[in-house]
Amino acid sequence: MNILIVEDEKSLVLEVYEFLSKEGFTVENAHTKRSAEEKILVNNYDFILLDLGLPDGDGFDLLRTLKNIKNREDAVIILTARGSVDDRISGLEQGADDYLAKPFSLNELLARIHAITRRKHKLESNEIAIKGFKINIQNRTIYYNDDRINLTKKEFEIFNYLVLNKKRVISRTNLTEHVWGDILEINSDSNFVDVHVKNLRKKLAQFAPIDWFETVRSIGYRINI
Amino acid sequence: MKLQFKLALYNALTKLAIILFTGALILFSLERITFHHIGLRLLQKKAELISHLSSKEISQILIQEKSFIDYNILPEEYIDIEPLKTLYNNEKEVTFTTELRTIDKKTETYRILKSGFNYTGRGYSLEIGETINGIDELKSTIKGFTLLMLLIALSLTLLIDLIFTRYLLRPFYQIIDRKLVKVNDPMNFDYEKVSTSTQDFKMLDDSISSLMIKITNLFTLEKQFIANVSHELLTPISIISSRLENILQQEGLSEENENKIFASLKSLDRLKSIIKSLLLISQIENNQFNKNARVNIADMVKEINEEFEDRLEDKKVTIINQVKNSFIMPANLSLMYTLLYNVINNAIKYNHKHGTITISDTLKEDTYILEITDTGIGIDQKEIEKAFNRFEKLDTGEKESYGLGLAIVKSITAFHNIKVQIASKKNMGTTFKLIFEGQA
Repeated sequence: MNILIVEDEKSLVLEVYEFLSKEGFTVENAHTKRSAEEKILVNNYDFILLDLGLPDGDGFDLLRTLKNIKNREDAVIILTARGSVDDRISGLEQGADDYLAKPFSLNELLARIHAITRRKHKLESNEIAIKGFKINIQNRTIYYNDDRINLTKKEFEIFNYLVLNKKRVISRTNLTEHVWGDILEINSDSNFVDVHVKNLRKKLAQFAPIDWFETVRSIGYRINI
Repeated sequence: MKLQFKLALYNALTKLAIILFTGALILFSLERITFHHIGLRLLQKKAELISHLSSKEISQILIQEKSFIDYNILPEEYIDIEPLKTLYNNEKEVTFTTELRTIDKKTETYRILKSGFNYTGRGYSLEIGETINGIDELKSTIKGFTLLMLLIALSLTLLIDLIFTRYLLRPFYQIIDRKLVKVNDPMNFDYEKVSTSTQDFKMLDDSISSLMIKITNLFTLEKQFIANVSHELLTPISIISSRLENILQQEGLSEENENKIFASLKSLDRLKSIIKSLLLISQIENNQFNKNARVNIADMVKEINEEFEDRLEDKKVTIINQVKNSFIMPANLSLMYTLLYNVINNAIKYNHKHGTITISDTLKEDTYILEITDTGIGIDQKEIEKAFNRFEKLDTGEKESYGLGLAIVKSITAFHNIKVQIASKKNMGTTFKLIFEGQA
């Protein structure tokens, strides 16, 4: 899958580039609205990561240009530091697929990309298998062999996010932000996430040993497979 | 006391003093003048009497050594002559007194000339009196008149003064009301001049306006500054956090370094929370939010309670939801959510383990009150005021507090014209009251 990053902060582009490349994406950059426009007109992208505040114009204009081209299915994720609710709403209304406020976690970006991919392409692999556990993202269910495991909505979200970001340590903060959203003044180090993880683990462990579901001391969790 | 009444009162009092003074002066001089005139008349009478002493009648009486009293039918005047045993020493000496005399069974006040004379080798004392009842009557008439005048003048001046000062001071009160009392945000200041011909008020109006312009400029600058700074800080934070996340992906990273990076990410997160909170406050204060949602408070409380389930479980805190009224108001959905979220979050955060939170409401006419009562650690009375200031961290033992939660609450409630009251007892709990007036 190829991704275009439209962002004038070169250092940020560099990091996103590195991260997504390692994830196996083909990544291109555009630092200005003009160069982005040229690239969009020439190529099809699976994803366009769009910053709203570009040095030579507004990202929204770019979004409109893209939406005016027929037969384009490029998914657009708006990345912005503006963060106002109005921006979010108008961005989504104008055809953006998602909206991430800066600063965002790269893990979160990856999760959003995966979510959009599944939605857009109605992937057959709606099921992720992991050590005998089968996660159906569409139906939000999880099975071990043929036994259904009853998870709460939050437990499912946590497990899904950890599986999606497997082999990576996910901090409690990151997990909290993903599952509970971006609520201000949240108690970032509260261990209420732990309550959910504890329950989740208990439910999974009834079916099979889950030593791959690691707790990383004082940081967070990792699914190490 | 209002300036208007003070002025009227001052005017009334000065008028009262002037009238009283002139009244007293008139009464006093009236007495003096009449006494002077009576004295002259009495002296004339005395001279007349003495010059007529030779007349037969009087001399006869005097010779008979009897006293002589003469008076008119109306005892307005009398003459009293009494023989003395010796000669009268000083014929020229004359004294005047005011005394009571009973003549013909009537007691009245007389102005009396006392003197004496010698006649045919004998001394006589002489009293000539003239009643001054007439003067007293005149005096009381004048007194009554003065009093009446006083009352009329007083009430008239009071009325006129009140009307006039009211007219005179109306621009002043308009300035106070429109330019000072009703201004709760310098951004919405009304620069239209209050029409007045009084130069002092014009000056006041102009001074307030120019002061407001200065304040507004500072305000705008401050808000822009906060917005710009916050915005410009978010991008570098984004870069750093991405970089750190990429470093974490590298294999062969020691556990120690990994921990350090996570600690850095946590600090960045704290920074992000603070900046976002400041940005939110500045956006609310800049009126960058609309109020086009119709928010049902009861539904929202329920929704937030569900959201908190996990946190409640963690702290073993129970929420007793007694909200029974359906109160719907125009508001900003996400701001109202943040407001209630913060308030309930505080009630959980500062609660004791196994504590309770009671949420109840009352609806009376157009006033809706939502009460959130916890059984937590409470706040000192004197700290309540401070609690709404930015970065004010109370001694709560809460490590992760940024001191911005209540500042956000304050700006959201101000934006929606919601009144906030906090009642708290140390170690007993806190009651957080949100009062919605006439907003349904």
